Amino acid sequence: MTEVHWQTLRAVMDRVVPPDDFPGAWDAGVGEYLRRQLARDLKHLALLYDLGLEAIDAEARARHGSAFAALTAAEQDAILRDVESGRVVAFWPVEPGRFFRMLVEHVQEGFYADPGNGGNRDGVAWRMIGYGTGPQDEATHADV
Amino acid sequence: MQTYDAVVVGAGAAGGIVAAVLAEAGWRVLLLERGPALTFEDVGRDHLRNQRISLYGHNAGPDSEGNPRVLVDPDGREILVRPHEGGYHNNAACVGGGTRVYLAQAWRFMEQDFRMASLYGVPEGSSLADWPITYADLEPYYERAEWEIGVCGDAEANPYQAPRRRPYPMPPLPPGRLYTRMLRALDTLGWHGFPVPFAINSVPYQGRPACVRCTHCVGFACPVDAKNGTHNTMIPRALATGLCTLVSRAVAERVDVNGRGDVIGVTYLVEEGSTIRREVARARVVVVSCGAIESARLLLNSACDRHPRGPGNAHDQVGRHLQGHYYPCACGILDEEIYDGLGPNAATATCRFNHGNPGITGGGMLADEVATLPILLWKSLLPPDLPRWGMVSKRWMRENYRRFVRVMGPVQEIPSPEARVTVDPRVRDRYGLPVARLSGTTHPETVRVAHFLLERAQEWLRAAGAVRIWSVPPRLGLSGGQHQAGTCRMGHDPRTSVTDPYGRVHAHDNLYVVDASLHVTNGGFNPVLTVMALAFRCAERIARDHRGGG
Repeated sequence: MTEVHWQTLRAVMDRVVPPDDFPGAWDAGVGEYLRRQLARDLKHLALLYDLGLEAIDAEARARHGSAFAALTAAEQDAILRDVESGRVVAFWPVEPGRFFRMLVEHVQEGFYADPGNGGNRDGVAWRMIGYGTGPQDEATHADV
Repeated sequence: MQTYDAVVVGAGAAGGIVAAVLAEAGWRVLLLERGPALTFEDVGRDHLRNQRISLYGHNAGPDSEGNPRVLVDPDGREILVRPHEGGYHNNAACVGGGTRVYLAQAWRFMEQDFRMASLYGVPEGSSLADWPITYADLEPYYERAEWEIGVCGDAEANPYQAPRRRPYPMPPLPPGRLYTRMLRALDTLGWHGFPVPFAINSVPYQGRPACVRCTHCVGFACPVDAKNGTHNTMIPRALATGLCTLVSRAVAERVDVNGRGDVIGVTYLVEEGSTIRREVARARVVVVSCGAIESARLLLNSACDRHPRGPGNAHDQVGRHLQGHYYPCACGILDEEIYDGLGPNAATATCRFNHGNPGITGGGMLADEVATLPILLWKSLLPPDLPRWGMVSKRWMRENYRRFVRVMGPVQEIPSPEARVTVDPRVRDRYGLPVARLSGTTHPETVRVAHFLLERAQEWLRAAGAVRIWSVPPRLGLSGGQHQAGTCRMGHDPRTSVTDPYGRVHAHDNLYVVDASLHVTNGGFNPVLTVMALAFRCAERIARDHRGGG
């Protein structure tokens, strides 16, 4: 994946799981999760990712004349909502709603799965929701 | 060629017990297991690849590559599925089988579960039948399973349970917050709640420690070895006799017969590095304990001149009546945070709806779930109208995870002869063996029962103070999965069953099936304790009937 695609992906994932007083997807390590998965279980989707991210960026340029990553959060959200429901103006070589829904699944996997998969850095998503705070889980999570 | 008194194929819930009972009776036993022996570290804590949620693979087998099945969907489409994919109906493939990674709910069936056809009549198109044995026949062996595997529970608290002679060997685990809350709701409803019985040490037992209350029981291995399966109870006992040889990564190719059609042993394949070695074992007795899908497959793959449809399959019964459990599930948000991080992954149960439901064929037990994996909640259990991305989605998880609870229960399925395992005429696995082909659906009555049970689950949540409840309505489909059963059912009549009431395959003297394949119906309960009780009972009989050559 090119650097531009990574910038787009980073911006998109941070709207899927936006930062508040807890980190957004990127700072929680979801980029690392996807980097690993696109070389492993999602290898067959690497091209789809390239094409889909390219198209999201093209959508931003068609509407605002600048890269998706450079837009405000509100502008990004508006584009992603349209992409999700198939209301696109740019050329899409992949089905926009399907691509976005797939990406959302992958981002949330990275965010809420175990840190061993590369995302949910230091268990930050679990701390946020309050999972695994029982007396024995801290110790036993650390074992593996 | 090696010679044994018995070859047991499959070291799971049943095979591990059969091997131990026979070895302790002085038999020389070969115990074959297609998967490896797994350590706690091997099983790991991967939330995306485990026996609870297997998005990208499994932590306890079978390997994703080289072990496909063919699923025929209700429209007749054939789908090639890998072990971690939906429709495969996987159970773990490792030493201990499913017991290596199960939640370990340890239920006895009820008296009524053994005579479903007599109690309710047979719905049209269903193969519902009574068991050839009663609860009383199995009761002593339930007791053995509870004491020799190790089960904790309250033997007094469930007014619907069948009579028992002895209490559980261990008391229930101390109640957590969810239990207290959910029990109070059941009391309000008059539904008689009680603690779920588990094959988990609530106190030190048989030389292993008590549960440390982590939340990774279901789908994973226990960090302190307090969860009891055959891998840490019966299989070590079998090996301690010095008479049992356990070979892991050994796949049975076929049950062998001589020119008269008598069973003489098993041919199996052992994987070592990149090579596959064929071995031949001869034995006086062969016991097939591979689980409902693989046991049927092995018999079907053992077709020969003398048994052209496979041993035991003269009447086309092997592989039919495949069943598991529908699991209607109601999700809810309670009005206060209830999560306390204390496993195991269930706490409270009611058997109020297993039987006696007007107009309903049977029913099922209901239990809550503790500490749902966050990614499982996100992937499968969110309210249908919740946005799946953005701040609303993040906030929802943050505000509701600790208030989330779901209630579900295994529906006693109404079997259909058309829900079945055959072997695929074209697709072969990495060993060159024809793979299992799964087709058909459960009987529509199962879906009706599931709807009924779902409504009761919702009622329980309401009584517990849920401020929001949602669920996915059950639909007609094929069932099997980790609770797979019924494919070589026991009975007296060879035209409608595969084995006699002790698992001996009809028209054979020395070929047995011992696992959930024998279940005529599968109870409204997690079936493992019944699998174990049957294994004790069948193995004891095998040792007695074939005495002499030990």
